[in-house]
Amino acid sequence: MKAPRVVVTGIGLITPVGIGRDASWQALLAGTNGIGPVTLVESTDLPAQIAGEVTGFEPLDWLNRKDARHMDRFVQLSIAATDEAIEQSGLDIPSEANQVGCMIGSGIGGIGTLEDQFKIFFDQGAGRVSPFLVPMFISDMAAGQVSIRTGARGPNVNTVSACASGADAIGTAYEVIRRGDAQAMIAGGTDAGVTRMSIAAFAAARALTTSRNDDPEHASRPFDLERDGFVLAEGAGTLILENLTHAQKRGANILAELVSYGAAADAFHVTQPSENGEGAARAMNIAIEKAGITSDNVDYLNAHGTSTPMNDKFETLSVKAVFGETAGNIPISSTKSMIGHSLGAGGAIEAGVTVQSIVDQRIHGTHNLIVPDPDCDLDYVPEAWRDVSIDYAISNSLGFGGHNSSLIFKRYAE
Amino acid sequence: MSREVVVTGLGLISAAGNNTEDSWNNIVAGRSGIVTLSRFDTSEYDQAIAGEVHDFDPTEHVDPKLLRRIDLSTAFAIAASLQAISDASIEIPAEHPDAVGIILGTGIGGAHLMIEQQRVLDEKGPRRISPFLMSNFLPDTATGLVAIALGARGPNFAVSAACATGGAAVGEAAEAIARGDVEVMIAGGFEAPLQPIYYAGFNAMRALATNEDPKQALRPFDSERNGFVLGEGAGVLVLESLEHAKARGASIYAQWVGAATSSDAYDMVAAAEDGRGINEAMRGALEHAGLKPEQISYINAHGTGTPLNDRVETRAIHDVFGESAKHLMVSSTKPIHGHMMGASGAIEAAICVLACKHQIAPPTINYANPDPNCDLDYVPNTARKAAIDYAMSTSVGLGGHNSALIFRQWENR
Repeated sequence: MKAPRVVVTGIGLITPVGIGRDASWQALLAGTNGIGPVTLVESTDLPAQIAGEVTGFEPLDWLNRKDARHMDRFVQLSIAATDEAIEQSGLDIPSEANQVGCMIGSGIGGIGTLEDQFKIFFDQGAGRVSPFLVPMFISDMAAGQVSIRTGARGPNVNTVSACASGADAIGTAYEVIRRGDAQAMIAGGTDAGVTRMSIAAFAAARALTTSRNDDPEHASRPFDLERDGFVLAEGAGTLILENLTHAQKRGANILAELVSYGAAADAFHVTQPSENGEGAARAMNIAIEKAGITSDNVDYLNAHGTSTPMNDKFETLSVKAVFGETAGNIPISSTKSMIGHSLGAGGAIEAGVTVQSIVDQRIHGTHNLIVPDPDCDLDYVPEAWRDVSIDYAISNSLGFGGHNSSLIFKRYAE
Repeated sequence: MSREVVVTGLGLISAAGNNTEDSWNNIVAGRSGIVTLSRFDTSEYDQAIAGEVHDFDPTEHVDPKLLRRIDLSTAFAIAASLQAISDASIEIPAEHPDAVGIILGTGIGGAHLMIEQQRVLDEKGPRRISPFLMSNFLPDTATGLVAIALGARGPNFAVSAACATGGAAVGEAAEAIARGDVEVMIAGGFEAPLQPIYYAGFNAMRALATNEDPKQALRPFDSERNGFVLGEGAGVLVLESLEHAKARGASIYAQWVGAATSSDAYDMVAAAEDGRGINEAMRGALEHAGLKPEQISYINAHGTGTPLNDRVETRAIHDVFGESAKHLMVSSTKPIHGHMMGASGAIEAAICVLACKHQIAPPTINYANPDPNCDLDYVPNTARKAAIDYAMSTSVGLGGHNSALIFRQWENR
C-alpha cells in the first residue's frame, strides 16, 4: 500500500514580530525588527541584554488563571499557536480524538520554572519546592497540555534536537500520518528561553551576540560580515498536518503539501558544524531524493541562518554542495534576522513561514544584510520581500549536537 | 512494504546491574538494587531511598576529559549505547555510517551541572557561567555524543514523553528502519534524576514510596503499595533490519513487531481512571503487529507502585485482553531497578526482549497482599519458566503519554 500524501491545513505563529499568523507574516514581509531589550528578567548584569521577546503576550487571553499558573511559558506559547492552527484548519478533534496526535518539540522545556524553583530550593529549602516543578518543567508538557486542551488522544511525543526540535517534530508527525497511525497531527515547536540562566549559558558558550546591547535592531544579521552571534528569542509555531484524503473528505482548505523529511547527524562536534556543512547537505539531499525531485526543482530555501559566524558560513557551503552551480539562483532568507533564534520553536515557526510563502507565492527577506561577506555569496533576499513562483520550498534546521533536518513543502495540486 | 526489524544488541545500566548479564540475573532472581539514597544530603527528609546505579565506572566508555563536561545521564547513555553496539558486534564506520541512526530519550534531562551553576549565577554572577552548561543541560546532547563516539550519521534526535519516553524512542526508531530510512538504530532511554532539586520536586508530589526496608518500598499491585522509588540508568537496544542482520550473520535476540503511543488528554499528572490512554496504546500496538490479544504471553507492566497507576493499568489490561487477561503473565520489574523515568520504557523493553529469548517471565517482587482491584497474574515473587511467544512492554507518563511495544521470540518462530 502506498503511503498517504500529507498536507498542511493550519498554521499558528506566536513570534517576536506578531501574536498570530497574519500579524507575524505581514511583519516579516515588512522587514519588522522583533529584537529589543530584555524585559522578562533582570538583565543589567547579563552579557547579552537583548532578546526576541513575544511582547504583549497575555496568557490569560487563552487560559484561565489556574491553568496558566500551572504551565511554564513555553507551554502557554504553544497553546496559543496551536489554538490558531486548529481554528484555521477547521479540524473537529473531539469527533475523532484517537485519530489526532500531537508532536511538539521543545529544546529546553520549562527552564524558567526550573530557575524559579532553584531559587526557592536555595532560599527556603527542599521542603518548599513545588509539586508542579517536575510536571511544569519537563519538555514533553507542551504536547501533553495541548492534548488535554484539544482532546487529541493519538500519538503524543516531544522530539528534542536542540535548535532542530520543531523541524524534527513536524518530520516525525509526517511519518506518523504516512504509516497510518493518525489521520491528523498537531505538530510544531515551542521554547521560552529568555531567562537569566539560559542567556548566561548561551553567552558563555559564545553563541550569542554581546556586542550590540545598545543596538538591538541590528544585532541579528545572518549572512552579514559583521554578524557575531545569535539573539536568543522565544515563540511557538504549530502546523496541522493531515492525511490528504482525510482533508479532502472534510472539505478542508489545503495550504500546501509536505512531501519529505530528511534527517542526518554530523557525528562531528557538539557545538560546531561538520566540515563544509556536510551534515546539513546530507539532510537536504535525503529530503530532495525522498521528494522524488532534483535540486533544480527547489524555488525557495528558508535557511537556519542564525547569525553566528560559523552557522551561516557552513550553511552556505552546504547549499552550494547540494545545488552546485545553480546555488546562486535560489532565493534564501533567514526568518531569524527579524525574530532571533527561538531554539526548538525556530524550525516550526520557519516551517509555518515556508508554507505561508507558498500560499502567497511571496517570500520575506533577510533583514540587516548590510555588509557583504565573501563567504556568504548567495541570494539572501536583502530587500524586504519578493514575489517568487514557488513549487517546492525547503526549510532547514540545524541543532547543537549535530542534528540536521530538512522539510520540503510543495504548492498543493491535486 | 514495511520491513522486518530485529533486536541484535542490548545495553543495560541500572540498579539491577551494569551490563545485560548481571541485570538479567538479578531481575530473574528478584534481587532489588534499591537502597537508602546516598548521592546527596537527604537529612531534610524522613526517608530517602532510590534505585542507585552501583559501581558504575564511566571512564570505561567515556574519555575523562569529556566526562567532566557532561551530565551523569549522558554518561549513562553513552556507556549503554557502546555496550549495546559492542553486543551487536557492529563496526559502524565499516557498515555505512549514514545507515545508522540514534533516537534516545530522556524525561527530565541533566541538571547535575545546572544546580552547581545556579549557585554560581547567584553568588558570582552570569559572566562566570560554564561554557559547557548549555550542552550539558540539553536533552539531545547524548544522542549527538553517541553519534560522535560511534560515527553514526543517520537520523538523530531525542524524544521526551515523561515516563513513556523510552518506549516511544524504541517505537520511533523501529519505524525508521521499517520504512527503509536506515538499517540500524540505536534506541532507548537514559535518566539520572537523583539530584536534590528533582528529588524535592517528586517528594512534593507525594508520589514517593516509603518503607523501613528500602528494598520492600516499591510494591506494585500489592494492596499496601504507597508510591514509586526513583531509579537511574539507561537501557539501549540495537534495532536492525532483518536483511541487514542476516547478511552480516548477526545473532538475533528477538523481533520487534509493533508499537503505538497515545495520549490520555486528561490531566498533567494523574492517569485517567478509566485507563483509556494506555488502553489505546496497547490496542494500537496489537493492531500494528496484526495480533489477537490472546497471542500475548507476557506484559512487562508500567507498574509503578502508586495506588492509582496499578489499579488503572489492571483495568486497562482487562479492557483490552478480555477473557484472555487471566492467562496473561504481567509483572513489574520496577521494585528491582526503580522507576527510571525516561529510561524505564527502554530498560523494560530490553527485559521483554530477554524474556522472549530466555523464555522466562521475571517476577513482581514484594507482592504479599492481594488488592481486589489488581487481580491479574503478576508472577508474584518468583520468576517463571514459560512459553513466551510475544511479550509487550507498556509505559505511562506524566502528561498522559502512553506507549506499548511488542516483541516476538526468535528461536522457534
